[in-house]
Amino acid sequence: MPDINEKVAQLENFIMKKCLWQFHSRAWDRKRQNENILGMAAKLLCGEEVDTSKPEDKCYWVDASYLADSYREKFDWLSTMSDDEIRELMLALKARIDFVTVDGSLNAELTDPRY
Amino acid sequence: MPYHEFDCSKCIPERKKHAVVKGPEDDLTKALPLGYLNTIPGSISERGCAYCGAKHVIGTPMKDVIHISHGPTGCTYDTWQTKRYISDNGNFQLKRTFATDVKEKHIVFGAEKLLKQNIIEAFKAFPDIRRMTIYQTCATALIGDDIDAIAQEVMDEMPDVDIFVCNSPGFGGPSQSGGHHKINIAWINQKVGNVEPEITSDYVINYVGEYNIQGDQEVMLDYFKRMGIQVLSSFTGNGSYDDLRAMHRAHLNVLECARSAEYICNELRVRYGIPRLDIDGFGFEPLSSSLMKIAKFFGIEERAQKIIDEETARWKPELEWYKERLKGKKICLWPGGSKLWHWANVIHEEMGLDVVSVYTKFGHQGDMEKGIARCEVGALAIDDPNELEGLEAMYKLKPDIILTGKRPGEVAKKIRVPYLNAHAYHNGPYKGYEGWVRFARDIYNAIYSPIHRLSYLDISKDEIPEDGGFMTQRMYSDVNLPEEVTKSDSMREYTGKYNIIDDLHKKEYPEFNKKQ
Ligand code: SF4
Repeated sequence: MPDINEKVAQLENFIMKKCLWQFHSRAWDRKRQNENILGMAAKLLCGEEVDTSKPEDKCYWVDASYLADSYREKFDWLSTMSDDEIRELMLALKARIDFVTVDGSLNAELTDPRY
Repeated sequence: MPYHEFDCSKCIPERKKHAVVKGPEDDLTKALPLGYLNTIPGSISERGCAYCGAKHVIGTPMKDVIHISHGPTGCTYDTWQTKRYISDNGNFQLKRTFATDVKEKHIVFGAEKLLKQNIIEAFKAFPDIRRMTIYQTCATALIGDDIDAIAQEVMDEMPDVDIFVCNSPGFGGPSQSGGHHKINIAWINQKVGNVEPEITSDYVINYVGEYNIQGDQEVMLDYFKRMGIQVLSSFTGNGSYDDLRAMHRAHLNVLECARSAEYICNELRVRYGIPRLDIDGFGFEPLSSSLMKIAKFFGIEERAQKIIDEETARWKPELEWYKERLKGKKICLWPGGSKLWHWANVIHEEMGLDVVSVYTKFGHQGDMEKGIARCEVGALAIDDPNELEGLEAMYKLKPDIILTGKRPGEVAKKIRVPYLNAHAYHNGPYKGYEGWVRFARDIYNAIYSPIHRLSYLDISKDEIPEDGGFMTQRMYSDVNLPEEVTKSDSMREYTGKYNIIDDLHKKEYPEFNKKQ
């Protein structure tokens, strides 16, 4: 079974190859997207309910559920993990995606104050 | 930082930070070129101007509109021959192009009178068209013509017409991308919210950043209609002016080309609370998951699943036929902006092609982030390349094909590299399941073209073989393939029609009862 760093790398690689939501145009957008989509995906992977009553949340959920379903399908090791371990893993993934797309990003446009 | 310095650009040291090679240990915090900056003096860029980005990319695909350039006729050159954003109303927007034909005397004495006369003449000449967009160009911006005031004057005098003014002269940004931005913001500021649409479905979207290149929008529209989704507006391919004034009433913005149209989606989210969902309409898996995401938003997953199952069963055997013959071929993805990331991963996974380089003429660093994230290790990523860099890259990487625009495409042909038109396509549409197979077919035809092979021979010095007969594509492509592939019953060549769009216009769709 891969260690947590290897697992995060596999999950990150999937997001980078298949998703677009992590690359919105500004730093605040990216943080918002990462927080909501990865937060919801973590809940879905742990079998928890998510609130999708607002259109905005519904849209995050759409990307989150694609992610959670794909993760379950592609990474067998997920099924052997406890909910707490999954939560910890997803927090590490969020920190990594925040770093790659915002905090460590070389994209000079992220801090432009306007769209 | 794994920057790549071109030999030909050693004399322009600033260029070094505009190209990187994706190394095995590199992530985006280590490998990202600069982007969306003014072209460096000395570098002959392949970019367009901000006027062109506003008018010829985003404005003109609107179909029921007279599109006028306020400036010299030269600015408005792009039309039927270079652009292929077709429409279902006889292609009015492509067949007719309008310019006020500004001359020296107007530069000296002002061109506002000329503009007004042109607007009225155009409306009189086309009495069925009551909508107009006007684009400022460099010349009329510099002399300070007040286009907004003239447009208002005409609207006051002719109450049945509506006019949109886009102030995006050629110098309004580093590239055409500056114009994309300006027209997005101008449209939402001036026009969105002016019209109240009739809502006919419980599921209402704007389809944004889609320009109906050779019918892409119509293919996607077909899927949406089969799902019972009302497409309130298309921004802007095959889009209608008045529909686009009603964008504020959609439940969801479905965004394809974020490069050219994320601005309006972001503004619609902030001003009207409409969420933005980024999708990929190219490739079986990305398209299937995109349709499913839209369906999930509305709770109609079974409708999407039906389309995915039907289309995959119909077209997958044909995609596989091409994949077997394209595997391992080297490709440079050198489009304008968004296609580098739409295609970078899926063209590798679903057609077996190896992406050895991605470039963008006008993309921002955000586009390179997506492109580099999606392509494989070893790819050379170039921002705003000049012609010599393109040549050097082709000599070094030896691609089997490049996907790019007409101008760099012609350069590639000169050194005998086949090219496909990534902007206007060769035999599109390329979106949708069938479209993706057509794309594979065009790539196959380009790589294995027997005529192209003749160009490898230089009749001035090479010995010309006289013993062989005429070779076909199939003879070239199948020579090293095993029998289970060449004689396979489960795979077949493309079997669709030459024109797949006309049938869509005649198609009838299921009625879905509206709940609310
Ligand atoms: S740069 Fe100016 S003059 Fe040239 S095509 Fe663009 S708008 Fe016209």
